[in-house]
Amino acid sequence: MEKSAEILPGTLDLLILKAVSLGTQHGYGILIRIGQISGGALNIEQGALYPALFRLERRGFLETEWGSSENNRKAKYYTLTAAGKKRLRSETEGWRRLAAAMKTVLAAGEI
Amino acid sequence: MPVSVRKIVNALRRRDNWEQSLDDELSSHIAMRADDLEKSGLTRREAERRARLELGSRERYKDEVRAAFGIRAVDELSQDVGYALRTLRKDKAFAAVAVLSLALGVGVNTIVFGMLNTVLFKPMPGIVNPQELYFVGTTQFWSVSYPNYRDLRDRNRAFTGMVADRIITAGLSTGGRSEQVWGFLATADYFDVLGVRPLLGRFFTPAEDANGNASQIVVFSYAAWQSRFGGDPQMVGKTVRLNGQPLTVIGVAPPGFRGTELFFVPEFWVPVGMQPQLENVSYLEARAAHNFWVTGRLARGVSHQQAQAELDGLATDLAREYPQINEGFRYQLAPPGLIGYALRGPVETFVSGLTVLAALVLLAACANLASMLAARSSDRFREIALRISIGAGPARVMRQLLTESVVVTVAAGVIGCAMAAVALRWLSEYRLPLPMPTIQFSVDTHADPRVFLFALGASILTGALAGVLPAQQALRTDPNEMMKGAPSIASGRRWAVRDVLVPVQIALCSALVVASLASIRSLTEAFAANLGITLEGATVVAFDPRLAHYAEPEGRALQRRLMDEAARLPGVVATGYADTVPLGLGHSSATVFREDATDFRPSQGTNVTEMIVSPGYFKAIGTRLLSGREYAWSDVRRPDGTRIAIVNETFARRVVGTVNAVGRRFRYGPDADAEIIGLVEEGKFQALTEDPEPALFLPATRVYSSDTVLIVRSRVSETVMANQLQQMISRIDPNLPVGSSTSLAAYIRIAYFPTVVASVLLGVFGVMAAMLAVAGIYGTASYSVSRRIREIGIRMAIGAGPRQVLSFVLGRTSGLVAMGAVLGLMSGVGANRLLASIVYRVSDRDALTVIAAALIMVLVAVLAVCGPARRAVRLDPQQALRHE
Repeated sequence: MEKSAEILPGTLDLLILKAVSLGTQHGYGILIRIGQISGGALNIEQGALYPALFRLERRGFLETEWGSSENNRKAKYYTLTAAGKKRLRSETEGWRRLAAAMKTVLAAGEI
Repeated sequence: MPVSVRKIVNALRRRDNWEQSLDDELSSHIAMRADDLEKSGLTRREAERRARLELGSRERYKDEVRAAFGIRAVDELSQDVGYALRTLRKDKAFAAVAVLSLALGVGVNTIVFGMLNTVLFKPMPGIVNPQELYFVGTTQFWSVSYPNYRDLRDRNRAFTGMVADRIITAGLSTGGRSEQVWGFLATADYFDVLGVRPLLGRFFTPAEDANGNASQIVVFSYAAWQSRFGGDPQMVGKTVRLNGQPLTVIGVAPPGFRGTELFFVPEFWVPVGMQPQLENVSYLEARAAHNFWVTGRLARGVSHQQAQAELDGLATDLAREYPQINEGFRYQLAPPGLIGYALRGPVETFVSGLTVLAALVLLAACANLASMLAARSSDRFREIALRISIGAGPARVMRQLLTESVVVTVAAGVIGCAMAAVALRWLSEYRLPLPMPTIQFSVDTHADPRVFLFALGASILTGALAGVLPAQQALRTDPNEMMKGAPSIASGRRWAVRDVLVPVQIALCSALVVASLASIRSLTEAFAANLGITLEGATVVAFDPRLAHYAEPEGRALQRRLMDEAARLPGVVATGYADTVPLGLGHSSATVFREDATDFRPSQGTNVTEMIVSPGYFKAIGTRLLSGREYAWSDVRRPDGTRIAIVNETFARRVVGTVNAVGRRFRYGPDADAEIIGLVEEGKFQALTEDPEPALFLPATRVYSSDTVLIVRSRVSETVMANQLQQMISRIDPNLPVGSSTSLAAYIRIAYFPTVVASVLLGVFGVMAAMLAVAGIYGTASYSVSRRIREIGIRMAIGAGPRQVLSFVLGRTSGLVAMGAVLGLMSGVGANRLLASIVYRVSDRDALTVIAAALIMVLVAVLAVCGPARRAVRLDPQQALRHE
């Protein structure tokens, strides 16, 4: 946990889209999944997740459906829509470019 | 905008839905997290507690989701409005005074805007593309003679069509009765150029215009068709009689269509070619008879300036071709509806004067509200400070405070709007006190959406304006300072706003009071002015033999016979008749020249009012004969062919050069002379406010006019006399419609109309201003007292008497009020200069008016301060000291 990084503004949506792209999941599951994939480095504040999910659903990137969890809990499941897939691709591309550019810039400072 | 509105509405509709859904989802989250925590060894209860804690406040997420939906603003607004309503309910006196004084302001402004709307913006009903229409008239008369119209129409290229019309009256015979009706003579292309479609039948065809080629046809207005013919669906093709002429009804105009004039409601239209038959005299070839109104439809792509330039050229041509008549004429374009600028000028002056007054009232009400709000917001410093310190942003607090003032003004706007709608409807139905009761002169001032929009806009703007200063003032406070406790004596800057507002408001009110007093004084003077006629004891009856198809010789005989019969009625002292009476309507004018004149162009002569009067007229109407004699029945011409004339003093002075004018001569033209046989006193002819006018009285024994006003001077009351005269006429000829039978005073009431209207309006404004002043001063004074209750207690406890208390509490208020009043009285004196043009004999330095106004303001101030002052003096020091 000590190696956790802060989530940059604007990256939460991308993380959520990525997590959902790996398979239909409920909110809590998305939280766990992001934690697992990042090896615990990225820690999302639990509550911040839900407004973000709402936003993405409203913009048509996610579809929802109520279902039952593995523990037989009622849960709202999120699936990526076609628009969501397209969004994920373009955001991933954008993030890669930004990361590469950041890396180059920061490398220039190292002697 | 509509899209996002729909989004918000949908969001609001779905909100229960999503709130429930979010709740469920968060519950499910907590349950699953608790499951996981339970696995790590916690008890279920502990696990759920931890899960809830980790998630944090549900309300916050809801809020964020709400923001994402875009409905937070709506929520906050409804919160603000609710809060504003609660605080207003707590302070009912404030709310009532604020709402009512503003309602007054908004109402008055809306009424005035309604008038402005009618004159400037409202489209004329039934007319296609009314914005292309222009009134075309000479700058002298605004009306154009038919031959000049014909030349303008045929020679211009700027207009796609040019029509002429003329108000005409006729006797309409239906079912054995004859009634006087009013309508238009119109050119054949009239309906086509205006773009009006008939409701029934058809309108005129080009062949039906033409001079002399009179087609016996008539079109009725929708209202006439309904009221006079019961909406008969078989109307087209029927025959009606106008002045005894059988005319075929060819069509009915659509509802609402009333031609191009705003004030006149015609009942019928007949082709111009019918003019000679209906009026017994032909104007169609009379180039000097300027009595048609011309309206043109400007061609697409032709500018106002281009059209004006072309008209200027045509005017020059016409002046060259007919110099005796057209010299000096210039044709000008004007918006249609009010006879060029003949009526539009005075109407626009009047309405813009009203606009200024109304704006002043609104401004005073606005200042009133602002100062009341400022007082309230300084009471609420602590509350505002509290709100800021618990995290409300300045914008949020500002919005809250503004909402309150906007709530007040919108409530006021609704009341004001209702007030205006009622007043405007009443105005629409108002009939001018015209001497011809059968003519329909009215203006459709009904409120339309534009008027309501204006009221809404005006009230919201006022609310924002009144709210913004106090709100800003409130926001300048430092929350920390305020939380520690507001100082009980307000200090420094935050009084600045009120220090300005109170005098400004009082100044506005004083100015209005001065103006209204001046106008009331002028009204009394107007009624006392010498008219040159004696109203008391005079009764008139108006008729027109032509309406019962009398030709000239029979008409003359009828006039003489009715006059003689009237003289035999009991109590009658004198009788006479004329074509009209002074201050009546429809005066003719003529141009006359000095005896030694050689240049007979119109610009070289003197324009005089011309009346046709019978023998005995001056005695009957009560105009003093200064020298010479009245006409006798034997008077026609001098043996040498010279005409004879009676003139008034101003005529004598201007045309003859001396008041010893009897026996002297003047000329009508190169070969027409007249000798003056009598001189009468000065009088008013068109308006009470006019300067002495030269007047020429022609003998009815020589000149015939079928327009007849019989004047009877009697010892019996005018009402009785009027009845007797009416009975006498129906005994002699039951088919002769009687236009009016009433006292002379009532007959010329229209002359007093502008003065009465101006005075009444200014009086109303004055009362309103005084009311606003009372509200404003009362608000300031009572605030000042309530603010300082504890201090008053202290002062009283250490021995201050009532006098000291009063001067301490109200001294500042009185100072501010006095300052405002002085300022206002001064500006009122300035305003009177402007009023002098509308209202009769306003003197701009009328000391009495200013003193009276000052007294009224003092009275108003005392009245307003009375309550708060009593409260201050009667305070119980014990209680006052405990007051927080």
